[in-house]
Amino acid sequence: MDAVQFLQNLLNGISIGSVYAIFALGYTLVFSILGIINFAHGAVFTLGAYLTYSLAVGQFGIGGILADLQIPFQLSFPLSLLIGAILSGVAGVVVERCAFRPLRFRGADPLLALVSSLGVALVTVNVIQYLVGSEIYSFPSDVYGDIRPAFVLHFGEKLVVIRTVQIIIFAVSIVVLALLGYLISWTRIGKALRAVAENASTASLLGINVDRFILYTFFLSGFLGGMAGSLVGTSFGIAGPYFGVAYGLKGLAVIVMGGLGSIPGAVLGGMVIGLAEAFVPADYSAYKEAVAFAFLFVVLLVRPQGLLGRSQIQKV
Amino acid sequence: MSVILEAHRLSRSFGGLRAVNAVSFAVEEGEIFGLIGPNGAGKTTLFNLMTGLTPVSSGTFTFRGTQLTGLPPHRIAGLGIGRTFQNIRLFKGLSALENVKISQHTRTVTGLFGGIIGSKTSRLEEIAVEEKGWEILKLVGLADRATEIAANFSYGEQRRLEIARALALDPKVLLLDEPAAGMNAAEKQSLTAFIREVRDLYNLTVVLIEHHVPLVMGLCDRIAVLNFGELIAVGSPEEVQKNPAVIEAYLGAE
Repeated sequence: MDAVQFLQNLLNGISIGSVYAIFALGYTLVFSILGIINFAHGAVFTLGAYLTYSLAVGQFGIGGILADLQIPFQLSFPLSLLIGAILSGVAGVVVERCAFRPLRFRGADPLLALVSSLGVALVTVNVIQYLVGSEIYSFPSDVYGDIRPAFVLHFGEKLVVIRTVQIIIFAVSIVVLALLGYLISWTRIGKALRAVAENASTASLLGINVDRFILYTFFLSGFLGGMAGSLVGTSFGIAGPYFGVAYGLKGLAVIVMGGLGSIPGAVLGGMVIGLAEAFVPADYSAYKEAVAFAFLFVVLLVRPQGLLGRSQIQKV
Repeated sequence: MSVILEAHRLSRSFGGLRAVNAVSFAVEEGEIFGLIGPNGAGKTTLFNLMTGLTPVSSGTFTFRGTQLTGLPPHRIAGLGIGRTFQNIRLFKGLSALENVKISQHTRTVTGLFGGIIGSKTSRLEEIAVEEKGWEILKLVGLADRATEIAANFSYGEQRRLEIARALALDPKVLLLDEPAAGMNAAEKQSLTAFIREVRDLYNLTVVLIEHHVPLVMGLCDRIAVLNFGELIAVGSPEEVQKNPAVIEAYLGAE
């Protein structure tokens, strides 16, 4: 691999890694509050992608029972992305109401919510399939308006191609990350969230309505998941209703790599997995995920708590 | 004096164990009320029932006539009942000031959106919350370390910070679960004065669980004694000390 090829891979990795980061943060937020993985996160990712597609293109789809059903308006891409993500946030709230809250209120083992969230994920994916079919959806190339599709950098004979989508993905992800960082570190809501994450019962004794903050968390998580799904969808197309499931697994690899419950860890983990994939040679791209997971395995052998996770000290 | 807290036949069972069994008592406004008893007598469970952390099995608990049984913990806290814990439960990753500011969360009016965008009312509230936080930290003598994270504090300081955090809730009643645990003799001495000072300054009613007998006897106006989940005596320190049932519970029957 020469320097130019290296640069190309680096840029590809950073772009996709930044989406992995915001997607994985959705898992992290819920994990740090409830201590469990929300398996419906991948389904929300799919849902966000379809919602953004529908709003930007002005029709629901080309297959399923909603085939050719027009939406009476068509929104610009940034607006579709934002509204798609907000609706995904609402979907996150619905997931909490259906899969998590009823079990929590009845004092069920938190682990059971893992199964109920998986159930919600499967139902969601099947409903999506019923509504819009299982065709591959690609965003039209003019969805961003009149911007050129790619920038080409010349290095003598060699070329480095940066697709506009990659720049958009990176920029949006960074803005989202910055806003989330601000929200959590500096606002009162963020501080209350951190308090709930550290000890929910103590927070409730200080007058914090824990259930409301769990809802906020699921909204944020859904927002991030839907946003990530939309960004990946615009870049690679939506490969059917199940495409979020594969990304869901990758998201899990990211948070485990970064350290469960660690926000900087999720960002770093996303970047590491994104880069690991980008450096898989094109001829072997079918093995991308295997390489990413093998990399994860090696990291965990050295640091079982993840890159930025704190090791658990068992108190007896 | 009027009654501020009233428990009527409050009970809680865990499986076959009656941790708290038909306990009735009334706490008067402004009093320092002690709760003592051997280990496992149900004192902390009683606190958990009073603050809504553990649902009651039967019986009622009222605060100034308002029924508290069945309310979620954050509502009970919002009505003005603050507490501390036997095993300190500070937010260790937050600074002392942030710990104290968190409890004022319920008192502010701006919602989620105002808090995020930093609206004018929200900023004014934030200033008020901050000032109050400093004031309380000064009272407990931790103002000079306000920005340090709670994990760095010594045990005694963490206890004081936990009391500060409960005070920031603007409570009418303060429940202290073994406030003197782990303190040395000098710290225990100053704790007595400190609890009285806080009570007078904020017009509080204090209910405290404590094992250290001299401290309880010297501090409390009245004392209730629990044994095996049942209330065996209530009265002034002198009365309780002479009560044969109490002597039996602590020393065993002859």
